[in-house]
Amino acid sequence: MATELGVGRPTKRRPGAAVGGLPVADSRPSLVDGQVGGVRCTTCRYPVAQTGIPWCPACYGPVEPARFAATGAAWSSTVVQIPVGTRRPPFGLAYLDLDDGPRVLVHLAEPTVLPLGARLRITGLDDGDLTAVTIEKGVEK
Amino acid sequence: MNPMLWGVGTSDYGLQPGTRVEVLCWTAIREAVDDAGITPAEIDAIIVGSVFGPPGVATRVQRGLGLPGVPMWTVENACASGTSAYHEAVQAVRQGRFGCVLVLGVDQMSTLFSGAIVPEATDPEGAASLPLPGLYALQAQRYVQEFGVTPEQLAAVAVKNKRNGLDNPRAQLRKAAPTVEEVLASRMIAEPLTFLQCCPTSDGAGAVIVGGERGNPADLRIEASAMVSGALWDHRSQDVWGYASVARAAEQAYAQAGRTPGEIDVLEVHDAFTIGEILTLEALGLAPRGKGAELAPSGHTARDGAQPVNPSGGLLSRGHPLGGTGTAQIAEIACQLRGRAGDRQVARHRVGLVETMGGGAAGMDGNACVVTILSVP
Ligand SMILES: [Zn+2]
Repeated sequence: MATELGVGRPTKRRPGAAVGGLPVADSRPSLVDGQVGGVRCTTCRYPVAQTGIPWCPACYGPVEPARFAATGAAWSSTVVQIPVGTRRPPFGLAYLDLDDGPRVLVHLAEPTVLPLGARLRITGLDDGDLTAVTIEKGVEK
Repeated sequence: MNPMLWGVGTSDYGLQPGTRVEVLCWTAIREAVDDAGITPAEIDAIIVGSVFGPPGVATRVQRGLGLPGVPMWTVENACASGTSAYHEAVQAVRQGRFGCVLVLGVDQMSTLFSGAIVPEATDPEGAASLPLPGLYALQAQRYVQEFGVTPEQLAAVAVKNKRNGLDNPRAQLRKAAPTVEEVLASRMIAEPLTFLQCCPTSDGAGAVIVGGERGNPADLRIEASAMVSGALWDHRSQDVWGYASVARAAEQAYAQAGRTPGEIDVLEVHDAFTIGEILTLEALGLAPRGKGAELAPSGHTARDGAQPVNPSGGLLSRGHPLGGTGTAQIAEIACQLRGRAGDRQVARHRVGLVETMGGGAAGMDGNACVVTILSVP
């Protein structure tokens, strides 16, 4: 393999430890006591699932640490059918608009394309990735 | 000075891991210099657009050019790197800073990745294993479900562009064009995008020479060039990912040129994935929201249609060497406007538009987008 052009070479891109590169600082949203960590603008209440940002990117107001609900509505979803990093296909991904919170990327416990607006709950982390299940009639699947 | 396009040149596009990256560049530059009818000594600045370099690629290319000391820099704006470099050249000439600028867009993907691009681990979504086709799939899935777009409408974009690419001797894919059924039957990459709806990663370089007015009848007028960076992809917005960045650049470009979308004769746009062309054409004003998917099936964007889109075959045929894409798009529009596109020639070719959109940074509606409008003087 090592002799094949383009395979197994270090690249300009940082691929991360998961695929053989050096470790990098984790930029993924955190999960603290069942809530998603981030910051919220003290002026316009804009929510961001990132920390360390210098000001509110929507209004330049000051931001403060915040916790967001683990529930929300799926903006969109897909099932990926190619291997990516340590993930093996199929795996489901969704953009989840947290209730009164930001939009975050989540892995779906069950790889399936969801209807727009499907209710989801983040149940934990899988290797550092937010993982969500669908909520049907109050029952988590 | 009014900026004019003096010349274009490209390498072949395709998997060329055994070719030195400098040779790809030199091939494109030699052709562009010949096309512009200048001597190398007339070049008084070099701007390079590249994502993966290699670092220092501009200087390594310089080694073969013999232009010591000219101002030179490299810009990176994801897939829009090549057109961002071009935009800087256009602005520099417009402001009188330089009289003749060499623009180079290049990337050699086959020596970096053996398949899809490995996501960037420092990015929150890259670290969570969101591949680029996955991002476009999320965009597509939202759009499909919101507007009731059919898989066949998505596939029609791939059929059109891959058919166009058969007549492009420098495209990566030119063996046979698939049918709609074959596009949909190809293996699923990320629902709803199948393999044949994703552009191949590629190796290639494109060069463009931009200068002032010099009375050469082959020169093309650069009516507009707009470059915008990404903005917050605000979750309160109704826009699908990517739409707003293209719309911002398009609005600026139409205003500069004093033109409306209906006046554009031929377009090269960023069809990295089928959904990309559809949403881009909506953002460019060729169709209302939710109606862009009708343009390929109706024949509007076919090579013999009212407004041909991607007559070169687009990224879906030519392949996508990130930085090398924008300059290849400009080369195709130049070729079309001058009536030199041979079997690919479109009937009406007075005004052309190029759009390149780069993305992948989490939380942003794009990394950058460039829209330029060119015309026959
Ligand atoms: Zn704010």
